Amino acid sequence: MGNEFTSDAVVGIECHVELNTNTKLFCSCPRKGTEEPNSRCCEICLGHPGSKPSVNKKAIEFALKLCLATNSKIAKELVFSRKSYFYPDLAKNFQITQYEMPLGSNGEIKLPGKAIKLKRIHLEEDPASMVHSGSYVLVDYNRSGNPLVEIVTEPVMESAQEARDFMKQLITVLEYLEIFDINNCVIKADVNVSVRESGYSRVEVKNITGFKEIERAVNYEVQRQKHEAKDGKKAMQETRGWDADKGMTFPMRQKESEEDYGYIIEPDLAVIDITDDFVGKIKLAMPEMADEKLRKFLDEHGIEETTANVIAKDRKLAKMYEEVIKEVDRELASKWIRRELPRVLNYQKKSLEESNIEPKHMISLLKLIQHGKITEKTGQQLINMLGEAPFDVDEHVKKEGLSAVSDSSQIEQFCKEAIKEAPKAVEEYKAGKEKALNFCVGIVMKKSKGKAKPETVMEMLKKLVD
Amino acid sequence: MNAIEETKRINDEYNFFNEICEVKPSGKGKLSGYYVSVKDCIVVKDVESRSGSAILSGYKPVFDATVVKMIKEEGGTIIGKTAQDEFGFGSFSVNVGKGMKIPLNPIDKERSCGGSSGGAAGFTKKAPFKHIAIAESTGGSIVCPASFCGVYGLCPTYGLVSRYGLMDYASSLDKIGVMAKRIDEIALGLSVIAGHDEKDATSATAKKEDYGLQLSKGVKGMKIGIIKESLGKGTDREISKKVMEKIKVLEEKGVTIKEVPLPLNAKYSLAAYYLIAMCEASTNLAKYCGMRYGKHAELKGGFDEYFSSVRSANFGDEVKRRIIMGTFARMTGFRDAYYIKALKARTMMIEEYRKAFMEFDALISPTMPVIAPKFSEIKKMSPLQNYMMDILGVGPNLAGMPHISCPAGEKEGMPIGIMVTGNQFEEGKIIRIAKALENGQ
Repeated sequence: MGNEFTSDAVVGIECHVELNTNTKLFCSCPRKGTEEPNSRCCEICLGHPGSKPSVNKKAIEFALKLCLATNSKIAKELVFSRKSYFYPDLAKNFQITQYEMPLGSNGEIKLPGKAIKLKRIHLEEDPASMVHSGSYVLVDYNRSGNPLVEIVTEPVMESAQEARDFMKQLITVLEYLEIFDINNCVIKADVNVSVRESGYSRVEVKNITGFKEIERAVNYEVQRQKHEAKDGKKAMQETRGWDADKGMTFPMRQKESEEDYGYIIEPDLAVIDITDDFVGKIKLAMPEMADEKLRKFLDEHGIEETTANVIAKDRKLAKMYEEVIKEVDRELASKWIRRELPRVLNYQKKSLEESNIEPKHMISLLKLIQHGKITEKTGQQLINMLGEAPFDVDEHVKKEGLSAVSDSSQIEQFCKEAIKEAPKAVEEYKAGKEKALNFCVGIVMKKSKGKAKPETVMEMLKKLVD
Repeated sequence: MNAIEETKRINDEYNFFNEICEVKPSGKGKLSGYYVSVKDCIVVKDVESRSGSAILSGYKPVFDATVVKMIKEEGGTIIGKTAQDEFGFGSFSVNVGKGMKIPLNPIDKERSCGGSSGGAAGFTKKAPFKHIAIAESTGGSIVCPASFCGVYGLCPTYGLVSRYGLMDYASSLDKIGVMAKRIDEIALGLSVIAGHDEKDATSATAKKEDYGLQLSKGVKGMKIGIIKESLGKGTDREISKKVMEKIKVLEEKGVTIKEVPLPLNAKYSLAAYYLIAMCEASTNLAKYCGMRYGKHAELKGGFDEYFSSVRSANFGDEVKRRIIMGTFARMTGFRDAYYIKALKARTMMIEEYRKAFMEFDALISPTMPVIAPKFSEIKKMSPLQNYMMDILGVGPNLAGMPHISCPAGEKEGMPIGIMVTGNQFEEGKIIRIAKALENGQ
């Protein structure tokens, strides 16, 4: 294999994504809920003798959505296998996963200018979590049996940057499908990394949690391998772990990397037929994906490219945009949804749902701006306030008298006052220094509490002074 | 004397039970007035359930198996957990867990009850009150002891009876069935426990049936095949003779009899069965490691050392043998040659049965090639000779076909069994044939 590579570095990713289902993969315990240890488990996810798994249909549906969105070939049957190894976090000392026949194969995730090939997509259960506490390890089975999809790419990425782009795009796809929620679902990865200098000798880095960590780990590993090669160290195939605190990979015991899992077909689960009918129904319910939205925003709406990209990548922003443009100018809407809305959410450290800002709020706000009823500056103040807690924008503007001042006698009055208060600036202007009058504009803006339009004020000042 | 005291008295003499209890019914119905014993591997809430293994000492299940729930709802009283080979690994109930007692044959205490549902069969023979035993078969564990103890034992089609709550031996082979003194009680018991269960993904969607209705239907016009290989080399001549006499009874009742060879089953069923069973068992038993339930030990060393120490100390030799062999057969490099090949062979053997059932309503053979052996004889047998005992019963188990052992006379005072195998979900037919055999006694 190694000889086929030509790039500087070669990266492949195997990632595990927690699916956003209500219940676990093989029992009806809630997937999320109280964090009290071992409170969300039953005889099945605790592996009690006599208990048997039953498959969560929703999880199959979710995994099939991902297969469809990535153009994967879908298996005719869903067959689970037992992956056997002894570990305290495994309730049965085997994990129910898929082996011979993954649900999806030969798919791809499209990046600009390149498609990342996917070897396989399959379903499996999450083990329990282990909590290290002094000289003991405590096991919490709340997570035991949560549904995961494993996504395995071909070794086709050429840098940490590309690995990051892939992960970002994958998350966009997952979020568009509404099968994953970055706020409550875990994403983990094992990556394999090799560099040209070592003759592409493959190193596997295990147990990386969070997609930002994936880029860090790949970056570190590429640099480490290059240094090792430069120092003349002989490259070897090995398995390493990722220490996020230190930002370093470290060698793992050989035993952990060479395990033989002795897979057998899971005999407690009947083979489930994946019928064309079932897949067809899911296909019909597939949402418009990010790529299609981007194309639409660019070609049909004619909005600026970077803005279109930012909005299309985020399902929630895209949804907001599409709602808002039903009543608001597209360019104005896209500008505000790309910049102002994320700025406020970021400042408030809230997700869009948490903020409770709805399309109706944005529509009211942007309509006022579009029709010159309020200034952009007032608009910014209003969206800041919406970020704290939404309210009826129109009513608020009316009540607080925030409408842009268009009464020319009022503005004229303010201008006259300003000319009196800043004789020096007026002198300078008269002497030919155009910009000096800006000082007076500032005074008027202050007097009008920002409600005057600066262009109107400047015009008036010039008229009065000349 | 009440039933529980009676049971205790019998148990003191024969060791049929690992645990005696009295779990009252939750409703009234078909089993009102019946006492029901449950094989140790089937969980009963709050009653120590060990599957015959020391590693589950002290384990009181947190839920009822689906069959136990059904029995309670139909008015049955659960009287205890019957003795068995540890996790079902044996044909004589001598491979009992550490510290447990071997059940003795109700007719001759020097002999085995058969296995692995030995306690169930022995107590069925002895029970002095209305009783049905809930037993379990993976590769013949119902018909073998039924034959050795002289009672009826029916193992249904795979999937007809829910396995939810059955501590797995080999999940793709395990079936829960019934034992009783009379065929009508078999029909009664099966009518109660059969039926779809959404908690068992391998449970069939067959409609619930009253098998009692089959008893009066008769066998006239049926065509039954005698399995050619079952009466030749390896089967006791006296047993073959008695079985042929029984077949004559059927002929007199209007059944057409013809010999049918099942060469693939004769040659490969035992090997395929043991490979699949051991591979699955080695994973099913992995959960027993002294961590979440059952026997614990002092926490020392790493988790792998701890798990090994608990498993070494509490599993019996046969359990260890099957875990090691099963693990070996599914490892990279051997997996294709053993596990995968056995799965393929199984498919071919099911096909062989299917073909036979295109011509025949049922198939007949002796249940066991011998009468219940003495404990002194069993001691001299090698593991392979032990496994060979299952030769006749393994076929229908591997293929998931329903089969029943019926009493068919005696040799040296010990019972002989005749086995009737039917096509999948044709329990009704084999019950009719068993009824005809009972009348002919």
